[in-house]
Amino acid sequence: MSASRIAYTAFVAFLSVVATLLVVSLVSEDDAYVPPEKKGPNEGRAVFTLDEVREHDHAESCWKVIDGVVYDVTDYIPRHPSDEDAFLRWCGREATQAWSGHSARAESMLRDYRIGALAGHEPKEEPPAETEPAISTETLTGAAEALTRRQGSVLLSLGSGEYLDGVYRGNFIDRGHIQVSIQFRLEDGKLHDLGYRHLYYRDVDYLKLDDDEPLQAVMRQHEQILSQLEGQPLTDIFRLYRPAEVVDDIDGYSGATLRGAKILHAIRDGLNRGVYSW
Amino acid sequence: MKGRYPGDLIITLVVALPLLAALPRIARQLEWSWAALCGVLAQGSGILALSTFLAAAMLSVRLPGADRWFGGLVRIWAIHRLLGVCAFVLIMVHVIFIALAPLPVSVDASVASLFPPLAQWPLWLGWAGFAVMVVFIAPTFNFFGTLHYQRWKRLHLLSAPALVLGLAHGMVFAPDTTLWWLLGLLALAAIIWRKGLSPFLARKPYRVDSVDFLARDVVELNLLPEGNGIAWQPGQFVYLTPMESSLAAGYREEHPYTIASSPGDRFMRIGIKGIGDATEALLDIKPGARVRVEGPYGTFLNEPGIHSRQLWIGGGIGITPFVSGAREWRDGHPTATDVALVYLANRPERAYYLDEMSAIADASDGIEVFAHYSSTEGVLTQDYLQAQCPDFREREVYLCGPLGMIRHVEALLLRAGVPRQRIHTEAFDFL
Repeated sequence: MSASRIAYTAFVAFLSVVATLLVVSLVSEDDAYVPPEKKGPNEGRAVFTLDEVREHDHAESCWKVIDGVVYDVTDYIPRHPSDEDAFLRWCGREATQAWSGHSARAESMLRDYRIGALAGHEPKEEPPAETEPAISTETLTGAAEALTRRQGSVLLSLGSGEYLDGVYRGNFIDRGHIQVSIQFRLEDGKLHDLGYRHLYYRDVDYLKLDDDEPLQAVMRQHEQILSQLEGQPLTDIFRLYRPAEVVDDIDGYSGATLRGAKILHAIRDGLNRGVYSW
Repeated sequence: MKGRYPGDLIITLVVALPLLAALPRIARQLEWSWAALCGVLAQGSGILALSTFLAAAMLSVRLPGADRWFGGLVRIWAIHRLLGVCAFVLIMVHVIFIALAPLPVSVDASVASLFPPLAQWPLWLGWAGFAVMVVFIAPTFNFFGTLHYQRWKRLHLLSAPALVLGLAHGMVFAPDTTLWWLLGLLALAAIIWRKGLSPFLARKPYRVDSVDFLARDVVELNLLPEGNGIAWQPGQFVYLTPMESSLAAGYREEHPYTIASSPGDRFMRIGIKGIGDATEALLDIKPGARVRVEGPYGTFLNEPGIHSRQLWIGGGIGITPFVSGAREWRDGHPTATDVALVYLANRPERAYYLDEMSAIADASDGIEVFAHYSSTEGVLTQDYLQAQCPDFREREVYLCGPLGMIRHVEALLLRAGVPRQRIHTEAFDFL
């Protein structure tokens, strides 16, 4: 086949694929977002008792409980690198102990098999942010003091670079309002091009403030947070638990309302959603 | 495309370096998930597409003498064309993998990743570059029929903006742009030299001293340099640009022609057959007319380390490189020791160089000339070669002529057991 024929054939095939995608996208009426997680017979069930878990103690259906979370690892059995008997021994049981020592990579793979929580280990709702006192260095615990980038990796339950490079968008929503919308780009585990798409609190749209508004100081602090994160490793977002480290002025008029945790959570929300665009 | 040349290493490096440099970064993203695999393949194909495109652009530089490093200009154009096809296909592969990555999520997500909001302009730069590429590459591959040579050449200039768009698109996503800057500037320098500078700096002024009429539609121009001329080897060719606005066509248009004179000749003699607008106009060129000559190019008949027993097969105007070789023989500086020349023509009056070639053969040892007329003897056969030149299988074979003739003779030689690496061809089918 001549080069011209190959180029032409590839071009026609290419146009067909792109056109098909466009047409399917246009004619499909269902705009609903389909989550990428696996849907099994237990879809919608979030909480299981240990008795229910015990029924799945064999190779045909193998559930394990690790740190209060129930995983259906049946599909993973053929892919498990080590001895199959050792792997099956923990089916239908509390397997936290057996799991300990696995890599961050294994941790991230495990998440794909999560089907729910063990009764008594349901995730607790976080208290509303507004009721928390303003964050100051005094309120931080000793553990937070010792936060390093390494521990940040643990908090993300990932090694650096585990998130795909790309542009992410995330929100912090509370009390019926989107309070923070953020966009950022990840490259080699580093944050770039951070920007607010929306910043709102108590009926004030911070992105539409006039220059002379007193609340501009808050806006400036928020901007400082982003400029501090620019080019930094992803794990640096945990510094936002201590915003005094990342902005100039936490006292005075604005100090009471600056909550780095909102931005931190908006970023984590973006990460959870996955890459918005490449 | 056969053989190995030092220039091949340069091409391989240009094509492979950016991908090798990015490999550690890409490998870190590799995991057994659909999205990650597609992402890795999309990045890999994108990087390779851009470097291939840049290599193709660099090869358009056409520096006289430097083409020897790549096995001659004809081979360079073949590689240039191949790299162009590869870049074109790789870009499409790149786009398809970008579309495939989010496909498990939804078709909408896939379409959104291909056609994002305009705010994500770097992605649209890529699309713009590809669109321009389709416009300039389509006529090259005859997507929509053939195009006039000069119009095709002008359209091919769009490769420069396509290259800049592609480069800008790729560099936005590259963490380290040093290598892209280097390769990009080299590629653009090649285009600027070829299209902007070489017409003024590389073309040497010559004057038509006399015109010999060889047949109704064939002339031989005898050119003298107005200043320093160029030195050539037998079998090489030049780009000739007529500077006479009185010509019916082809004024200031360059076309490739083989040099027919011996390297020791003070005239550069060029045999021209009227086969298109520009060549037909040249049949009427008058002594005193000014032309510009750029070259020489090519390694036909003058590759180093070649077997000294040779078989030359020339058809039609494709006899000219062998005319140069025979005239060199007459001047007493042959590169080969034993040559059999088979002159293929339709009938005796179309063998316009035959008398001169026979005279040289009669006067010299080691060179024989056979004329083969298709009107009486049909197409060239193995039996004919066997009868005239029984040891043709052991010789280095050189073929020049119309594409149909080359295909026929090449197939015949291969069937007769001549190894492919000993068959050398020269056909200007897309210069």
